[in-house]
Amino acid sequence: MSARGSSRRRVLLGLLAAGVASAIWLRLDPRALFAPGSGEVLARFFRAALSPALLSSTGASLWPDVLDGIRATVAFAAGGMTLAIALGLPLGYLASSAWWDEDPSPGRRRRGRVITSAARWLIAGMRSVHELLWAMILLAALGRSTATAIVAIAIPYGGTLAKVWSELIDESPRGGARALRAIGARPGQSWLLGLAPRTLSDFASYAFYRFECALRSSAILGFLGFPTLGYHLSLAFDNLRYPEVWTFLYALLGLILAVELWSAALRRREGWA
Amino acid sequence: MTGAPTFDLRDVSVRFGELTALADVNLEVRAGEAVALVGPSGAGKTTILRLANGTLRPTSGTVHVEGRDLATLGGGDLRSVRARIGLVPQEFGLVPELRVLQNVVSGRVGRRSFAGSIRDTFFPTADTVRDVHRVLERVGIPEKLYERTDRLSGGQQQRVAIARALYQQPAAILADEPVSNVDPARARATTELLVSLARERGIALIVSLHHLEIARGSFDRLVGLRGGRVAFDRPASELTEEDFSRLYDLTPDEILEDGPA
Repeated sequence: MSARGSSRRRVLLGLLAAGVASAIWLRLDPRALFAPGSGEVLARFFRAALSPALLSSTGASLWPDVLDGIRATVAFAAGGMTLAIALGLPLGYLASSAWWDEDPSPGRRRRGRVITSAARWLIAGMRSVHELLWAMILLAALGRSTATAIVAIAIPYGGTLAKVWSELIDESPRGGARALRAIGARPGQSWLLGLAPRTLSDFASYAFYRFECALRSSAILGFLGFPTLGYHLSLAFDNLRYPEVWTFLYALLGLILAVELWSAALRRREGWA
Repeated sequence: MTGAPTFDLRDVSVRFGELTALADVNLEVRAGEAVALVGPSGAGKTTILRLANGTLRPTSGTVHVEGRDLATLGGGDLRSVRARIGLVPQEFGLVPELRVLQNVVSGRVGRRSFAGSIRDTFFPTADTVRDVHRVLERVGIPEKLYERTDRLSGGQQQRVAIARALYQQPAAILADEPVSNVDPARARATTELLVSLARERGIALIVSLHHLEIARGSFDRLVGLRGGRVAFDRPASELTEEDFSRLYDLTPDEILEDGPA
């Protein structure tokens, strides 16, 4: 047997052993899935999928709640993304090396390297904490305001946008920017006119994808009490009103699908990847 | 400023570590002159072009452009010298995602403020568009004004690069191997376009060319380079068979090793 085959088998065996060890450590018991009554609850939950509620328990129409939930979900996502782009563009610029690595002065190259590595550390910090966790930290500090939810989304998303954009910049061919510098452009001009345009369509495409992710994050933030679809979902869950749960799940699904279709149409029109 | 040559390289040597790219080169090019640098790859043609616009500094010797010693110039002064020298790079140096108009407009970037160059690129005035259109007419592709540059053929993109150099209203144009990225049929048309543009505007032109034959047909003055040294510098009409062989006959050593690109 080849060396590669035997090392692959070692990895597989190792993973299997780790799985068994964790199961034992967690006292995993498959019988818990079939606890008395759990089947009935599951059936009740999925039966409710066929008859989502149109009225609340008090008999009022659910439509205002659904529309409010959708509106808040979109608003928090859009606000979060706007702020994320405002954070991500300058940070991504600083985190790329293209703005200094061809500078003739060694001193400026050194300074550039320091700034870029500081920006990359900052980005890593922003990204390493999930938006839900940011929201909980900010809730403690700022209370439950609109700004809290938007900033909670904007921090990790801004970090991700910055990271992706800085990579797009550094991977772009430099021929255009170099030609501009050779005919007298300042470094900023050659960057803005020669390099940045090469990244913009990929960046726009990625930012739009992140907007779809932000919608899901925004919905989930409702579990912390922000008035998005997740808030209505968690209320209905807590009160075991499964038909209502399905109403809000369908609303979320419809919203995501609508944005998905919009983005597909945009991609076709703009020729995005 | 009339007395000073446009480009004046005196006893210039360039070394990259162990490698000597140029050794004791003297070259003077005056306004209205069209000069072809010819020689095999690695002879130092591109190095001379880079010295001429100060994107490379000589290890020893001096480079003067319109009487100004490039070694003495700081950032802003060097930029203003560069703004007077058009460039047609081998790979064209265009931004493919931008429109032809935007690429041509960037020719004047060296003379524009930061805000001004943004305005030119994204919100050009009617006058700007008319000037760019006129330049595109001169290079034969006026209908491509609003086309995205990456939709153009290689030959058309090269014309955009030439149009950008013209729009710059330079005192000189440098072109690096302008025939290597277009099909052979266009090669002569491209060099002839460059030479006629230089003549009608009375500007200095330096073109690096791998092909001696094309150089011979279009330029009045040929500078042959071999191994970083000037092998000959004379009018095309006085070129001899001996000049040819001095340039291209390889020694047994050279056949075995690949010269630097």
